[in-house]
Amino acid sequence: MKNMQYFAPRGVDEALDYLAEYGEKATVLAGGTDLVPRVNYYELLPDIILYVGGIGTDYIREEDGKLAIGAGTTWSSLITNPFVKARARVLAEAAAKGGCTAIRNAATIGGNIVNASPAADLVAALLALDAEVVIRSAKGKRTAALEGFFTGPGATVLDPDELVTEIRVPFVKGNGVFLKLGRRRAMTLSVVNTAVRIRLEGTVCKEARIAVGSMGPTPIRCVEAEKVVTGQPVDPALLDTCAETAITETSPVDDKRASAWYRKKAGRNLVRRALVLAAGIEG
Amino acid sequence: MKYTLSFTLNGREVDVLVKPNDTLLDVLREKLQVLSPKRGCDTGDCGACTVLLDGEPVRSCLTIAMTAAGREVKTIEAFTSRDGKLHPLQEAFHEHGATQCGFCTPGMLLSSISLLEKNPKPSRDEIVEAISGNLCRCGAYLEVIEAIEAVANGEGKE
Repeated sequence: MKNMQYFAPRGVDEALDYLAEYGEKATVLAGGTDLVPRVNYYELLPDIILYVGGIGTDYIREEDGKLAIGAGTTWSSLITNPFVKARARVLAEAAAKGGCTAIRNAATIGGNIVNASPAADLVAALLALDAEVVIRSAKGKRTAALEGFFTGPGATVLDPDELVTEIRVPFVKGNGVFLKLGRRRAMTLSVVNTAVRIRLEGTVCKEARIAVGSMGPTPIRCVEAEKVVTGQPVDPALLDTCAETAITETSPVDDKRASAWYRKKAGRNLVRRALVLAAGIEG
Repeated sequence: MKYTLSFTLNGREVDVLVKPNDTLLDVLREKLQVLSPKRGCDTGDCGACTVLLDGEPVRSCLTIAMTAAGREVKTIEAFTSRDGKLHPLQEAFHEHGATQCGFCTPGMLLSSISLLEKNPKPSRDEIVEAISGNLCRCGAYLEVIEAIEAVANGEGKE
């Protein structure tokens, strides 16, 4: 039996010191909803558990024209927070569709990002909102666009001594919609999810963001599909083409939740439905 | 390594030696002999291990025990008085046949208690949402919903 250790730093700097010292040996624990099942079934036997629930990153505030969300903020807080509701409603909608109350009371926004699941519901919403992550280490601080943060399933650009401490969401305009297709309504991982944001002037789309999850090795922003609608008058035929294009940018796999074939069919329809809702047209 | 974990359990201070990978469920059931939280799946899917942590429902099987240090944990035992008088929701579950095998009941009750504390008059949809993370293999969901509605409507026993 190995001599597992546990540390619970009381601040960000202290947490970063532990990471500087132990690096890859330290497994960062936040809400535990993704991590602990793997510990319980011995898929993961950490040398060191570094619990970051007590380092003061549970906050949501408005700062420099952005929403600053501490990485330790729970999904439950995202759902009820008035700033999130006013500035990033699509994020609250995504949070409300995850797990159940008891899961959302523990699960954190930072955990959903760093766990780097292709199916991460909050990530789809954050991609539609042009979010950035604040990454800190004992050596310094950097900010990275969330798009580009993921390098594969469970893999990110984070170095072993780095910690995501904050998520920044600019005050973007337009109407956001998050939709999720799971195997059932509650307590389900996404077979496909999508978050879209559309800014219209009259009927013309001035800006579009389209993100999908569970449709490839990472959550995907569908930039070609965005180009299809941007600058165009929005009508059902255009949204058909847009949704078709979005799916050409994905590479889903067969897994226990669904086949790749099904994901493409259902994903196309889900994206189209989200676009129709966001554009507020008769679909 | 073993660590001394101190927390409040149903109003009582407890100290217990735990390993870093012990969950709160492990500690409650195996070290403190509090057997109402059930081990169903150990992955957070079933809800049978639900406890209240600082008043909010969480999965004790997903809660690393050490993270409960200094916090308040409540299991269903906290809601039954010393003379054996049941909580109104327990009474209602009994009245409405909302327990069959009983395995999900402690977790189901804690989710329900938490709901009514925050929202004394929930809609049916809100009730369904509140218990959506508690699986009942007997399928007594309708009876559970009826029991919660009965308490919300003040039909519980005095």
